[in-house]
Amino acid sequence: MKDLALGSVVLRYGPSLLAQAKTSPDMAIITGESPAAITKEALAALGGMKRFIAKGDKVMIKPNIGWDRTPELAATTNPEVVKTLVEIAFEAGAKEVTVMDNTINQAQRCYARSGIAEAAKSAGAKVPFVNEFRLKKMALKGEWLKEWEVFTDFVETDKLINVPIAKHHSLSRLTIGMKNWLGAIGGARNQLHQKIDEAMVDLAAFFKPQLTVLDAYRILTRNGPQGGRISDIKLQKTVVASIDPVAAETVAAGFFEIRPEELAYLGIALKRGLGQTNLEKLTVEKRTV
Amino acid sequence: MIRVVSQAAFFTLFLYLLFQTHFTGKDYIGRVEVFFHFDPLLAIATAIASRVLFASFILAAVTIALTLVAGRYVCGWVCPLGSVHQFFSFIFKKGKLLKPRKEEKSAGRLAWKYYILIVVLVGSLFAVDIVGFADPLSFLYRSFATGIIPWFARVGAALIGLFYGLKLSSVGDAAAQFFGTLSLNQTFQQGFLLSLLFLGAVLLNISKERFWCRYLCPAGALLGLFSRWNVAKVRVDMDKCIKCNLCTIHCQTQANPYPNEQWRSSECVYCYTCASICPTKAVYFPVKKSPEKIASVNLSRRRLIFTSALALVAAPFFKITPAGKRAAAKLIRPPGALPEPKFLQKCVKCSECMKACPTNALQPALDEAGPEGIWTPVLKPRIGYCEYYCSLCTQVCPTGAIKELTIEEKVRVKIGSAWVNKDRCIPYTLGRPCIVCEEHCPTSPKAIKFVMVETKLPDGTTATQKAPVIDLDLCIGCGICENKCPVMDDPAIYCTSVGEDRSEKNRLLLETVQPATLVEEPKDPYR
Repeated sequence: MKDLALGSVVLRYGPSLLAQAKTSPDMAIITGESPAAITKEALAALGGMKRFIAKGDKVMIKPNIGWDRTPELAATTNPEVVKTLVEIAFEAGAKEVTVMDNTINQAQRCYARSGIAEAAKSAGAKVPFVNEFRLKKMALKGEWLKEWEVFTDFVETDKLINVPIAKHHSLSRLTIGMKNWLGAIGGARNQLHQKIDEAMVDLAAFFKPQLTVLDAYRILTRNGPQGGRISDIKLQKTVVASIDPVAAETVAAGFFEIRPEELAYLGIALKRGLGQTNLEKLTVEKRTV
Repeated sequence: MIRVVSQAAFFTLFLYLLFQTHFTGKDYIGRVEVFFHFDPLLAIATAIASRVLFASFILAAVTIALTLVAGRYVCGWVCPLGSVHQFFSFIFKKGKLLKPRKEEKSAGRLAWKYYILIVVLVGSLFAVDIVGFADPLSFLYRSFATGIIPWFARVGAALIGLFYGLKLSSVGDAAAQFFGTLSLNQTFQQGFLLSLLFLGAVLLNISKERFWCRYLCPAGALLGLFSRWNVAKVRVDMDKCIKCNLCTIHCQTQANPYPNEQWRSSECVYCYTCASICPTKAVYFPVKKSPEKIASVNLSRRRLIFTSALALVAAPFFKITPAGKRAAAKLIRPPGALPEPKFLQKCVKCSECMKACPTNALQPALDEAGPEGIWTPVLKPRIGYCEYYCSLCTQVCPTGAIKELTIEEKVRVKIGSAWVNKDRCIPYTLGRPCIVCEEHCPTSPKAIKFVMVETKLPDGTTATQKAPVIDLDLCIGCGICENKCPVMDDPAIYCTSVGEDRSEKNRLLLETVQPATLVEEPKDPYR
């Protein structure tokens, strides 16, 4: 009887586990016309969401909802990418999926105009506003930021998925996944600009997402980080899913024709051992859908 | 009883519309300000002051017609401020704080509100808009927007804190999300004072039932004048009457139902208290034409002349202010605000715009706009900024003091200009990176650009940093740069009103003096 049960478990999960152990890549770069389809494909290429999410997990998805802009202006994460991730997370057995961000413009506006609140809710996610009462001063143990006020929602979760969008930024040159963590904290965020590169790396080291799904369907090439005109964006039609946040950042830098050495924060991240900028050290799956 | 239901219903409607006056997920929110348009006092006073009748006020004709035919039902059954006063009068009566007197000797005070009305109207003639200080709806909305609702929000926050303290975090979460969706503004300069005024008006009910409605309300006085010829009467059947005088003692507005010939048509709000309190059911409500002579409030001719003269003399005093001579730097008006003199003639200080503002940026003015401009909206970038894709304040203004704008129109309106204070700016003075202002600038291309500046540091070395400079052709004066500047006490970048589109005088660069409609899409510097 026991053997039988074990046998069925092996039959049920064995193949996928074995397959993962053998071929699961570290990163998938998928290009295609539909944001939803390339997101789905990216996760499939990484070996499925089950690789990251266990049954009954509480999952937090952190897109960039910072600005009161429509998806076409590429200031906020593509809502279809977010929605697809919510769906896949539930399919993988997540008990609860939350999507939230500490916005810069009025939260109600950003949640509505970005299309993210509606999209994520339609897939069954909770989309709450950040709540000051959930702010807690935490030891970040960073090299610059020793402690900071963090929204506990992003810490008290089983799994954390970072879903940034790739954008131009005047100070750090690019704002992608590491800078996205400024949306998970409170306090005087405007002071972080004084050492933005160090701050981004300290936050990235603190939050350590299980997965980064980078939305590069539309990328913002100038006037960042909020753009404002269609002519500010470039259609890249790509999603990068990666277990290595630094590598994802490196790939995105390529879309802007920036080498990783040119980005100060990537140098710091590399030194801190947060990931690789040399993509040859990773297994990368590239596909077009 | 039906009356109480009606009052409760209209008060609920008032609250509902007030709470709806914010970003509800859509850019256009509909006529949440509709209550104002039924107010004939606001219609007439702003029409006289600005010499234009704002079209939406056509609805005031409904109130006037109803009052001409049936009397002041609006005061007794509809007016939300009347309901507030009646509710508290009821409470104070129950609490024995307010004791109706047998012999009401203060009939002379009934005339006060007519004198206030005269002051308001004569002021309007001189284009001094005093109505906003005294109109019941302006008073009610202003008190709620800047006092009661912030109070409610703070009570809510305290409760949420309590829930978390008691480890009921799921209740706390739910409550926090609920309050988050309401987006209530909590910070108002003078909020404490404005709340005290409201409290004072409520406490006056201890002295006399519906004190405000009886003695102070100029809108009630106006309706009182209209109600002179109405056909809805209150009569006591003398065959049944036992002359107990209860009807007159408990009359909410001192309309004197007993004796019949002393019933004041102009004061009666048809609350039916007389009928319900009458032990012999002697009070009835016939419909008939007014007799030749009807009892009314004694307005002494001498006092009428005196009040008119007083208002005549007083009106020009409101204009003794430098505000008209030279624009005030800190007087940033909401986008779509009319040129200052027109704006002052129309603004009724109702605070609807302040309730709608998503960032709490609009604040009741104190001295920024002169004596007429007290409690008119002024944008304070340190408290909030003008949200780029928002035109809510322009949509909810009941009088057109702020011209209604679409989002596309609004993003082109310049309400002021930003300036860098290099002495306090972090890159300029400390040689450290910052440019938070540039990041937040909402226009595309950005109105804040940067230059590389060299700063001598205390240790003798030189730092080179990106530092902000303003492109005034692109700056719309929204104030987000000032709001987000990390120099907290006295921001290193700040906005003033100069360059505002609405003014022909408050200008800066000759090139920017074209009317807003002629400004082309800014040239793309990237091409």
